[in-house]
Amino acid sequence: MSRITDLVWRFPSVVMAWRNLGRNRVRTALATLGIVIGVVAIASLGIAGVALQQQATTDLGSLANEVTVSSGTDSDTDGVTDEQVDAIRSVVADAPVVPEKTNSTTLSSRDGEEAFVSVTGVTNADALYTVSAGDSPERLRSGALLTNETARRLGIELGDPVSYDGRLYRVRGIVESDGGFGGGRELVLPIAALNDQDYYDSVTIVAANGDEAQDIVSTLESRFNEGDDEEISITNFASVQENVNSFFDTLNLALLGIGAISLVVASVAILNVMLMSTIERRGEIGVLRAVGIRRGEVLRMILAEAAFLGVIGGVVGAAASLGTGLVIFEVLAGDPTLVFEWASLQYLGYGFGFAVTASLLSGLYPAWKAANDLPVEALRG
Amino acid sequence: MTVVALENAVKRYHTGGEVIEALAGVDFHAERGEMVTVIGPSGSGKSTMLNLVGLLDTPSEGVVRLDGRDVTDFSEDELTEERRSEIGFVFQSFHLLPMLTASENVELPSMWDTARDRSDRAVDLLRRVGLGDRLEHTPEELSGGQKQRVAIARALINEPDILLADEPTGNLDQDTGRTILDELTRLKQDENIAIVAVTHDEQLVEYADREVRLVDGVLQ
Repeated sequence: MSRITDLVWRFPSVVMAWRNLGRNRVRTALATLGIVIGVVAIASLGIAGVALQQQATTDLGSLANEVTVSSGTDSDTDGVTDEQVDAIRSVVADAPVVPEKTNSTTLSSRDGEEAFVSVTGVTNADALYTVSAGDSPERLRSGALLTNETARRLGIELGDPVSYDGRLYRVRGIVESDGGFGGGRELVLPIAALNDQDYYDSVTIVAANGDEAQDIVSTLESRFNEGDDEEISITNFASVQENVNSFFDTLNLALLGIGAISLVVASVAILNVMLMSTIERRGEIGVLRAVGIRRGEVLRMILAEAAFLGVIGGVVGAAASLGTGLVIFEVLAGDPTLVFEWASLQYLGYGFGFAVTASLLSGLYPAWKAANDLPVEALRG
Repeated sequence: MTVVALENAVKRYHTGGEVIEALAGVDFHAERGEMVTVIGPSGSGKSTMLNLVGLLDTPSEGVVRLDGRDVTDFSEDELTEERRSEIGFVFQSFHLLPMLTASENVELPSMWDTARDRSDRAVDLLRRVGLGDRLEHTPEELSGGQKQRVAIARALINEPDILLADEPTGNLDQDTGRTILDELTRLKQDENIAIVAVTHDEQLVEYADREVRLVDGVLQ
């Protein structure tokens, strides 16, 4: 015998199991197919959940990072004061702090088209806005930024003037809506344009992420709002994101549950196949026992058969799920390679693990039954 | 030297509230180097007796001795160990595993003893029964007589003291049966084993050193 056959015969249960499965290929293939479907159900539903969650998080991302401060109900002023802005700056350290004054106005185009827009006066616009065309809004001193939707409707292009409060501002950049509420129709002006307002309507603090945003919220709360006093009102959507996350966790669990049902069905099929094949081979197993093969050895052989079904089904199923995952991420996120992130890949592991576990559990009873059959009974067939 | 013995062995079966006595107090023994045939009509208890001698079943009463040791109350696991090392089986319908080659079938009883490579002995045994050129053939590529020779080689792989044969020529034509019996006779001497064969076959009786007749569970 060659070295390789010598080596594989070190594991007689495995070799015997493999050969036994080869005796009825159609049955083996069908049993494996059941497992494949179960794995694909679990893994691709799991991956779909991850893709949906990532998409939702991306959409909510900018909201969760921002902390918005406005004047509280117990404040003496009807806005946020310069002193308060300075105090906020000293508390949040690195994060950009953008005080805003807001108003609204109606813009009109040359051909009489009108659009109602909100007006925001800011100092450092770059912290809040991303320009899709035109200059960087880094230092918005004299020009204006306009959201692309409004610009398109009114036929306003870069360099065109817009009028606010009797003054003309040149449009220096077109900004995309930040996806926030009420976004989409906004005129951004230098803070000086709204100088007739004494106080800031709101102060936006841009944190690095949702967690930092929540830290800032609690710091501000303890700094400004003692007891029940609400000197300033603090808003942050990180909690919204948490709710969204927890919703998706629940959704994922539900999806996995649905997937698990199909794997349970598959493992019942395996149980049936293993039971039938051990009943068919009863006489043969009797011979094994008669010639001195131990109960544990028969048990291992049949468990190895079940494990093979699970492993093969698991591998094929995981490969198929990876393919499905590529399609899901391509469709939902436009980037199929996201499937290779651990968040998604782990479901391939779960699918495979469930498949092997379910198959082994299904093999347990047939194996136990065959191993404990009295040889004299089994030999009668 | 007695290798296996039944002393006053009784075997009762309970079926449907009825008690059937398959063996009613049998005294039997087999010596090294002898072939004993057990003959008798169907239902006389031949198979039951062979099962007791082969440690596949335990008696309801009486004692089973293997090499002088009382093995009557051995557990199933202990009996398995004894069968593995002391007893070889040859069946009427060969009972080879279809997915294994001839030499793998011969090695089967020792297959799980991974510490001990029996492949050389398997090849040697197959050569001795005239199948040196059929080592890698699967059972379906072998004739009935060749299959039974593979089965005989399998029975001898672990160097047992006893070979039990249940109608070893039952599925073979007369000429093939004769060559199998020649083979068994030769191996009996070479390996110095006891052969106990249950049969209807008059031809087999010619080869026997001794013959016992079983009628209604009693040796005549």
